[in-house]
Amino acid sequence: MAILVKKVQLSWWDRLYFPAVLKGMWVTFGHFIRQLLTPTSKRFTIQYPEMKKEMPEGYRGLHELKQFEDGSIKCVACFMCQEACPARCITIEAEEFSDLNFTQGYEEKRPKIFKIDMLRCIYCGMCEEACPKDAIWLRKDYELAAYDRLSLNYGKWDLMNTYAVTDGKPVQSEDNELPPSPPRNFVTM
Amino acid sequence: MFLAFALLTIGSALAMAFQKNVIVAGLFLVATFIGVAGLFILLSNPVSAALQIIVYAGAILVLLLFVIMMLNAHEEEPAQDDLYFQRYIALGLGIVLIGGSIILIRQSQLLQSLSEQQVHHIAPVSLNQMGAEMMTNHVISFEIIGLLLLVSMIGAISLVKKRL
Amino acid sequence: MILGILSLAPELSWMLIKVLVCIGFLMLLAPPLTWVERRGSAMIQDRIGPNRAALFGKIKILGLAHVLADGLKFFFKEDLIPKDANRALFWIAPALAFIPALLGFAVIPVGRSFELEGTTYHLSLIDPNNGMGLLYPLAIGGLAVYGVLVAAWSSNNKWSILGGMRASAQMVSYELGLGLSVIALFVTVGGYDPHQVILDQVQHGWYLWRQPLGFLVFFVCQFAETNRLPFDFAEGESEIVAGFHTEFGSMKFGLMGLAEYVHIIVASALIVTLYLGGWSIPFSRDGDSWPVLATVASFLAKLLFLCWVFVWVRWTLPRFRYDQLMHIGWKIMFPLSLINLVVNAWWLTR
Repeated sequence: MAILVKKVQLSWWDRLYFPAVLKGMWVTFGHFIRQLLTPTSKRFTIQYPEMKKEMPEGYRGLHELKQFEDGSIKCVACFMCQEACPARCITIEAEEFSDLNFTQGYEEKRPKIFKIDMLRCIYCGMCEEACPKDAIWLRKDYELAAYDRLSLNYGKWDLMNTYAVTDGKPVQSEDNELPPSPPRNFVTM
Repeated sequence: MFLAFALLTIGSALAMAFQKNVIVAGLFLVATFIGVAGLFILLSNPVSAALQIIVYAGAILVLLLFVIMMLNAHEEEPAQDDLYFQRYIALGLGIVLIGGSIILIRQSQLLQSLSEQQVHHIAPVSLNQMGAEMMTNHVISFEIIGLLLLVSMIGAISLVKKRL
Repeated sequence: MILGILSLAPELSWMLIKVLVCIGFLMLLAPPLTWVERRGSAMIQDRIGPNRAALFGKIKILGLAHVLADGLKFFFKEDLIPKDANRALFWIAPALAFIPALLGFAVIPVGRSFELEGTTYHLSLIDPNNGMGLLYPLAIGGLAVYGVLVAAWSSNNKWSILGGMRASAQMVSYELGLGLSVIALFVTVGGYDPHQVILDQVQHGWYLWRQPLGFLVFFVCQFAETNRLPFDFAEGESEIVAGFHTEFGSMKFGLMGLAEYVHIIVASALIVTLYLGGWSIPFSRDGDSWPVLATVASFLAKLLFLCWVFVWVRWTLPRFRYDQLMHIGWKIMFPLSLINLVVNAWWLTR
């Protein structure tokens, strides 16, 4: 069915066209003056490298692997996120580890390799939902750029440090020694 | 100066005549008009020069080129009826025209007065003088041209309009 | 011969200075105008505009370095010529666009004529009473079409051809309104020399107030002649890519862009001379006592304001449709200028 377009009848004042032009010029002039008088920091434009946008709540940005206060990883390598991932971008290899410390309770498993291919990831947040330990979060950082594809294949340590600078936390690495854990109370049942 | 403009005029006129490409020929015609305008200025008649450029180079040839581009006739079409005596008639008429104009110019009072007075610098003709001249001494030809243009306009409209 | 030239020397050197200053002024003003256009459009659209390029990596001066960067970039770009283009015409097309734009400024006086040691110096390239007067910029303006037309045709591109054809039809239609509105002004002045026009305005007030209708028509037609936005059919980037300069790159394109801005300056200068009193200073009628530099400053201020108006209008109004363009040109502007002419003539003979 054809759509009937109603022809707009303009009044003689509108058909003069010139007053409308002047009105439009006045509007643009108002915008011009307003922009000229607003300091740069208060304009709508966010001048990117210097100014960054504050992302809204619930934004799903880069992942962070959460850690305990002493810096040990929360992840227990349960593979739930890997299974949940629709883009199949998570690769986990688990390792046994005997050096139990207090904060990690009595778990004996941790990821040896935890890789997320940031180029394949679709930032759906399924891994975050699947995680039983609340160990993987999608937070607000959105800056992801590199010169080659390989460096966007984030490993375990990269993922633990994604937000280290933003949060002002120490950058973790393999060489970092965990602080000496307090003596454990083994509760024998 | 005279040589430069004369060469520009004649050279581009010849180039126009021998140019295969219609659009390039039209552009050469523009150059011819500009050369003629320069000659007008040398004759201390800048008004004619300005009108030459405004009317001929600025309007008529633009329309001409517009039509050529619109019809997209980039190749020369063969003439419809190639009468063999046509070119001789044209040649004869051309010779008569050139000879007549040469005789007329040589007989003209202005040239004679110029050669008598040996004037080097004449005050340029102004638009006011030209208008006055047109409305007094040449008013009949002015009116006839106006009438002709009106007739051609009416003719064009009646050709285009299907229902008057 | 040589002696003759030497005896002419003071005049000649004055001429040389005038030519250099005038052309240099036009060439120097055109690139900053691109900056004004970019920043101004940004302000009008609540944006910020170009502000990143920096001299020596430090001095940003509100993005003015972009002008330099653009110019430099044009020079180093690869110069492409389409395969089936008409090479000769393709080469001269930018010049054909640029030179008429530059020439139009010649008769416009930028300041009061002054006397020094017995000789009168005029602040326009061509001295007054040359018989050509303001017909000259109109004639040159008529030639400006050829730059567009030749560029369009020589690049062997359908979009370009469309743009060129639009431009030619548009310019011919709008030249009528332009000429007729100017004739009404000439009739009232009783002359057509720019100096005469300005002196008349010094005595009796600006033509902007005395012939508002003529001003309106002239202003609109100037927009059409400069191919600026409500009338930029030759470009029409949303319809025909970039119109007549689709195929032009590197400095050829730069020259085309520059020609547009020089055109704006010359058009503004014409409007200032004809309707805004030229170098006269507003609210003062004592023409002979003004300092020369003040008149030049007054002219420049008006000129720059009008250039800004050109930018302002461009970023306010959308492009017309092509039939609307023809409608406005033939059915509105042409009759309006005729009415203006007849009414003014009647007013004079009354």
